Amino acid sequence: MKHTWTMIVVCALAGAAHAQPAGSGTDTGSGSAAVQDPYAVPPKPTPKPPDGAAPTMTTSAPDAPATVESSPAKPKPPEPPRAPDPDIGMPQLIATPTGWLLPAMVLYSRTGLDTSGGFTSDERVGLGDVAEFGVSTLDDVRSKNGYLDSPSAIQPYFAASFRIGVSEDRLFANQPGLVLGFRKSFSENDNGVSSRIAELTLVASKRFTPNVSLHLGYAFWDASLEGGSIAQLDGANGTALDHRSDHGLLDQLRPFGGIEIKPFPRSEIIADVAWAPVFCYACVDTRDQIEMSAELSWGVRYKATPWLFLESGVHVFDINNANLLDAQIYGQVTFVSWGLRHAVDSIR
Amino acid sequence: MKRAPIVAVLTLVASQAVADPDPDSEPAPRKPDATAGEMFGGPFTSSRLFAMPVADVVGAYMFSASFDGSLLQQPGVLTSEGVFAAGFGDLAQLEYRHTEVVSVTGVDAPVPTVGVELKLPLPTSPNVPAIAIAYRQGLSRGEQFDASTVTEKVTDLYVVMRERFALAPWLTLHAGLRYSPTQISVSGGGTAKASLVLPTGGIELAMNKRARLIAEAALVPSFTLAPSDPVIGRAVLGRFGLRWSVIPAISLDASVGYQLDTEAADAGSGPRDLVQQWDIRLGAEVFVPWGALACRALGVFCE
Repeated sequence: MKHTWTMIVVCALAGAAHAQPAGSGTDTGSGSAAVQDPYAVPPKPTPKPPDGAAPTMTTSAPDAPATVESSPAKPKPPEPPRAPDPDIGMPQLIATPTGWLLPAMVLYSRTGLDTSGGFTSDERVGLGDVAEFGVSTLDDVRSKNGYLDSPSAIQPYFAASFRIGVSEDRLFANQPGLVLGFRKSFSENDNGVSSRIAELTLVASKRFTPNVSLHLGYAFWDASLEGGSIAQLDGANGTALDHRSDHGLLDQLRPFGGIEIKPFPRSEIIADVAWAPVFCYACVDTRDQIEMSAELSWGVRYKATPWLFLESGVHVFDINNANLLDAQIYGQVTFVSWGLRHAVDSIR
Repeated sequence: MKRAPIVAVLTLVASQAVADPDPDSEPAPRKPDATAGEMFGGPFTSSRLFAMPVADVVGAYMFSASFDGSLLQQPGVLTSEGVFAAGFGDLAQLEYRHTEVVSVTGVDAPVPTVGVELKLPLPTSPNVPAIAIAYRQGLSRGEQFDASTVTEKVTDLYVVMRERFALAPWLTLHAGLRYSPTQISVSGGGTAKASLVLPTGGIELAMNKRARLIAEAALVPSFTLAPSDPVIGRAVLGRFGLRWSVIPAISLDASVGYQLDTEAADAGSGPRDLVQQWDIRLGAEVFVPWGALACRALGVFCE
């Protein structure tokens, strides 16, 4: 019996030793790299010398370009044309994040306007094929003075976001793309009242067929108000969605989701449901000073070129109140650039 | 019983075959004819996760500068941390490092220290932990708080360990213990001193050749004024995110941080207070193989 266990342990260790590649020297820290980079640039094919002798390949470091030592100086064959950049899964549907991340060093820029004058801008960069960072200005954080007033967007409302996750089918077959995201705004002053928002999201995205994708997630929201009449009502610290005296835990939790349908190769129909805070500066009850409002959006995204996407649709705020009067028509343009990625690849 | 030594030997052999033990075993070449690709092609070794020091030093003839910062934790306040490390032989480094503290203003404040870290000369192999000991002399950090000037100072004696596993080369664990004589004084007020023992831990997951997910958590000193006399306590700082080697000599950091403010937790907020307790930090680390550069430019420090 002992012999059997010994053999099992030895076989397991030996198997692991052969299965795992040697530690990658590109690792700048103390972690070894065993997982293959799905976006890694494939190694350049080594040209075979005409005399049939096998070339010698030496690499000073795994990331350094391979040098071929061949005795006669032959002219280099021309570089093969670069393969076209693959399509990416968009990190944002309309108002909700998706479970897809930008590939490393891919830049994403989205700018939008709606009929109420709402302006949005969203700039992101992919980091390491497992994360992305972005800064944005939002138009869905709104405020009103009294209970009966119609909310209007606080603009500009700047925020930064960081999302981290695993791409679809990475861990196992049919695994949806999973992304944990955090977005937090800078402090914005509006009518003497300072507000901030923050949102922690977990979203899953699954492409069921090449033309149909579904996105579902949960958001944990927080928002705070300070100054002005808020300080007089609730003391110097203001009010916040996380204050347990005013809001339960469920006030912070909100589901969101969306769908993408691609009836034509370049066109997508997209729709989503999202949530955003509405601040009421003069509301007497502190529980009403911060409320979460549901938004429904739908529209069409058209891929004009591999790097340019045009988008238009309808944005309905306050769908929990069936408020169609505040519906806005929006237009957006999105740029996706692999230029920085190619530049970094060439340096490597 | 006779087979036990055989198994031990085979285990050791197998573990040696899994991976090249340490990236810092191949320093950049210091040759007069070295190319930029050779000098900056790495591999380079970092001496930190995000804020947590690790049991690695940057290596001989190497300099590393790193900085992470955020404007998001509190309006108008830059919270940050940084390390400037110069390799001193293969096993030591001299460093200027921000040690983590929660200041009287309630934010994660960088308190400067200067010190030396020594990596114990243990065999570099998977399953054999690396251990380092660091001593950092605290420098005073002045801060204006209402009408008072607050001076904070933290000195650290740090023992930190790093463990890799032959069967899971994508996983690295870190653990450390920090002994911190800590002092705070308030102008026109009192002075408080305490010696704290603060554990810390971290985990790294290699996601691909260049990117690692990192999570770390630590107890750190926290300073409060109650109401004017200073009090020294403990706070929790956690951070998870990405370290990504864009090119071998430059890494980018992006992370989400969490700070457990004990007062906020008592008031009922705690982790659900995303606005106050959570932030996003961006940063970078740049490695400068100054020995290789000096050899290339001036012909000195060559191998």
